[in-house]
Amino acid sequence: MDQSQLAMVVPRRYLLSEPPSAPVMASSCSQALRHHVCKSSRILRIHLQKSYRSFALNSAADQQPAVSSPEEIVIPKKKTWSKEAVLQALASAVKRDPTASDSRFQDDPYLTPKTSSEFKLFSLSQESGRNAAKYFINTYPKYFQKDYAQPHIPCLMPETLEAQIEEASEAALIERIRMRKVKAAVDLYDQLLQAGTSVSLDVTNQLLDLICFCGDHDPAQENVPEQRNEETEDVQDEPQAKKGRAPKASGLLKATWKENNNAERIFALLSEPNTHSYSALIRGMVKYGAYSKAFSTYTDLLNNRLKADVQTFNALIIAAPEVKEKYNEKWELIVDLLKQMAEQKVKPNLLTLNAVLKALRRCGTLGKSQAFPVISEMKALSIDPSLASYNHLLTIFYKTGATIQGQTDILQEVMNEVSGKSFTAQDPDDAQFFITAMRICLDTKDMEQAYRVHELLGVGENWRLLGNDFQQNIYYARFFSLLCMMENIDVMLKWYRDLVPSVYYPSSNIMRDLLQALDTDNRLDLIPQIWKDIKQLGHANRQNLVEELLILMAREKHNQEVQESFAECALDIKKIYDTGDRGKVLLSWTAGSLSDLISVLLAAHRRQDAWEMLKLFKTHNRVPSEELLNRFLTCVKEAGEVNQAVELVQISAGFCLPETPKLIQRVQQEFELTEQQRNMLSDLEIQTFNSD
Amino acid sequence: MSKNMATSLVRQTKLLSIVSSQLNSAACFRNIHCTAACLKNRAARIRVGKGDKSVTYEQAYHPHHIGHRKGWLSQHTSNLQGEDGAAERVVEDVFIRRFMYGTFHGCLADEVVIKRRGNLLVICAVMIQKLLPSKFYFLIGYTVELLSHFYKCPVQIEMQTVEEKVVYKYL
Repeated sequence: MDQSQLAMVVPRRYLLSEPPSAPVMASSCSQALRHHVCKSSRILRIHLQKSYRSFALNSAADQQPAVSSPEEIVIPKKKTWSKEAVLQALASAVKRDPTASDSRFQDDPYLTPKTSSEFKLFSLSQESGRNAAKYFINTYPKYFQKDYAQPHIPCLMPETLEAQIEEASEAALIERIRMRKVKAAVDLYDQLLQAGTSVSLDVTNQLLDLICFCGDHDPAQENVPEQRNEETEDVQDEPQAKKGRAPKASGLLKATWKENNNAERIFALLSEPNTHSYSALIRGMVKYGAYSKAFSTYTDLLNNRLKADVQTFNALIIAAPEVKEKYNEKWELIVDLLKQMAEQKVKPNLLTLNAVLKALRRCGTLGKSQAFPVISEMKALSIDPSLASYNHLLTIFYKTGATIQGQTDILQEVMNEVSGKSFTAQDPDDAQFFITAMRICLDTKDMEQAYRVHELLGVGENWRLLGNDFQQNIYYARFFSLLCMMENIDVMLKWYRDLVPSVYYPSSNIMRDLLQALDTDNRLDLIPQIWKDIKQLGHANRQNLVEELLILMAREKHNQEVQESFAECALDIKKIYDTGDRGKVLLSWTAGSLSDLISVLLAAHRRQDAWEMLKLFKTHNRVPSEELLNRFLTCVKEAGEVNQAVELVQISAGFCLPETPKLIQRVQQEFELTEQQRNMLSDLEIQTFNSD
Repeated sequence: MSKNMATSLVRQTKLLSIVSSQLNSAACFRNIHCTAACLKNRAARIRVGKGDKSVTYEQAYHPHHIGHRKGWLSQHTSNLQGEDGAAERVVEDVFIRRFMYGTFHGCLADEVVIKRRGNLLVICAVMIQKLLPSKFYFLIGYTVELLSHFYKCPVQIEMQTVEEKVVYKYL
C-alpha cells in the first residue's frame, strides 16, 4: 500500500505523526475510534520509515482543520474539459475485440463473413446498397430537401448532378469545372470563345487544371451509368467496370496523353500563359506519361522568362528518370533541376524530396550513395520525412529478389527513427511503407524488427496508412509467414488467435506454413483444430493442403486420444472427398491420400471404416501400397477376422500387386483357415505364380 | 304577407326545437359521432382463438404490460419534462417502421426497436434468415444511406437474425 492509498483509507483528520493529544481526542471520540487512530498512526509510522517521500505525508499530517498551517495551499486552476473528454477516456480503455469481425459488419453469426471472399462480397454488397440509395436521392431530390439539421450538414443533402446554369457565361463554366464535367466544360469554353466573350485567365487556368488532372476524359461516375465516349478510344475504360469502388489511380493512368488534345489546344489559344497554366500542363503531361513533352514545355516556360512553382518541379523530378537512360545522367538531370529550383528561389517541400528519393530508386548504386544526403537535406530544410520517404529509402537499399549482404541495420535505423511517432497521410506512397517493411523483415528473417513494425501500426493514426483491404492482406500474409518460420508454436498460435479471423483471413499458403510450423514444433495434436479453421476459411477444397494434412496425420504414431481425434478429422475429410451437392466433385483421391487416410483410421482401430475405404481404391482406380496392405493385415490379425484377411488377399490379387505372394504366405501362416479358404488361397497363389 | 312568412318561420323553429328536445330525451340517445374511433380496449391485443395462431412475446402481452413485462419499442427523451419534439418523433417512428417492413419484406421476425442517442438514430431489428447475407447487407446499406439523407442525422442498423420467428405461445 503506497502513500496515496493510505491517505485515502485513513481519514485525513486523523493523520497525525504523533500519538493523539488528549484534549483533541477525549472530548469527542469513543474508545473504538481511539484504537483505530492508534493503529493507523502505527501503520503510518511504519510506512514513513519505509518511504522516501515523507514530506508529502507530513504536510498532509500537519493539516488539521482547526489549526492554520504556515504552508501555502496552492489551489490549482480550474481545468476545463472538452465535451468529449469522458467519451475519449472511455474509448482509450477499450481495445480491439479479437472475437469480433470488422466494424462495418453486423454482429450476428449468420451475417459475419468467415472467408476472405465473403468479406469482400459483404462489403461490396453494402456499398452497392449505398450507391442504390444515392441514385434514388439524387434522382428525386425534392423529397430530401427538408433540412432538420442544426447546423446544416451538406453531405446529407442531395447532390445536383446536372449543371444548373444554362446560358453560356463564365459562371456556367466555373460551375461545370466544379462539377468535374470535363467534356461539357471544354465545349462551353469553345462556345464562349466563338461567341467572342473573353474568358479570364484564372478561369482558363482552372479549366486547364481540370483537363490535365482528368486526362481529357470524364472521371468515372459511380452512380450514374457511365457514358462511353467514342472519341477517346485510347482511354482504357476498365476501371469503370468495377462497381462500388473508386477507380484506382493506376487504372486511370493507363490512359495516355494524346497529341493535340484539348489541354494543348486551349493552352495554345492563350495569349499570355502564366506560371499556373504551364504548371497545369506540365503536371498533366507527367501524370499521363508524356515525359519528354513535359520537359520541352518546361524549356518553353524558361524561354518566356517565367518562374516555375514547386509543383512543376515536383512533376519534372518524377519525370526525370524516364527521359534519361544511364544512372548518372538521371542523377545529373535531377541535380540540375534542383539547382534551377534554388535559382528561381522556389522552396522545396516534402513532395519534392520524396520525388527525388523515388527517382533514386531507379538509379542503381548511385541511389545508395545519394539517399542519405537527401535525408539530411530534408532535415536541414526542417521538413519532417513522411512514411513515403522511409519507404523509398528502404526500397533503395533492399531491392526485391536481390541477396541481402549485411544491410540489415538500415531497417533498424529506420525503425529507430519512426518508432512511437504518429504519421498522417502526406504522400500517396505512404501506404506502401508497412508492406515494404514487412517484406524486408520476411526476406531478412528479422523477427524483432517485424514486431516493431507491427507496434508502429498501433501508434496513433498509423493504422490508416496500412492501405486498402488488398494491401492489408499482403501485410498480414507476410507477417504470418515470418511468424511461422521464426517463432515457436505458442507465440504463433497466440498471434493466430488474436488476428484470425477478425482482422485477417489467411490464404491456403499461410495454412500450409502453419502446418509446417506445427510439425517443426511437434504439436501435431493441434491438427484437428486447424482443420476446423481450414474448413471455416473455405480452403477445404485445396487438394495440396488436404493431402499435406493427411500426410502429417498418418506419419507417426501418437497416443490414443490424439489418434481418436485424428480419426474423427479423417472421417470429416472423407466427407469432403465424396461428391458434394449437385454432383460436383471437389477433390479427387490419390493413392497417397487414400493410404494416409486408411492408416489414420487403422491407427485408431476403426477397422470397419478403413475396410470401406479400401473398397474405394477399386472405384477410383488407385493402387494401394504394400505397407498399407501389410498394416491392414496386422490390424485384421489383431481382430482375428479371417474372412477379411482372405478378402484382403483377393483384393491384392485383383490389383496384381507384386507382394501378393508374400501376403498369401502371411495369411497362411498367421491365420487359421478353413478348407475352402485354403483352396482359394492356393488358387490365388498359382494364379500369381503363373502371371509372374 | 310578411306576417304570414314570419309566423311560418316561427312555427318551423318551434318544430325544430321540439324535434331536438325529443331526440335528447331519455328514450333515444343517438348523437352524431364526429371523431375517429379509438377502441382503446382492442389496440395491440391479439384475442384468444382456436389455438393455432402463433404469437411472439411482444404480441402476447398487452399494452398495460409495458413497463412491467415488456419494454418500450421506441426510446427517446422528448417525453421528459421540458423537452419538445415528441410528436415529430412519433411521426418519424411510424415512417421508419413502415419503411423497414417494406424494405425487408417478410424478413422481420418482430417489431423494430428504435433508439435515439443524441443525434444518432439506431434501428434494432430481428430478422428471419430468409435472404442471403449479401442481400441483407445490400438492404442495410440502402436503408442506412436513404434514412440518413432523409432525416439528416446518422442512422445505424443493429441486426440480429434467427432461423424462425420465435413463438411464445399459441392463441
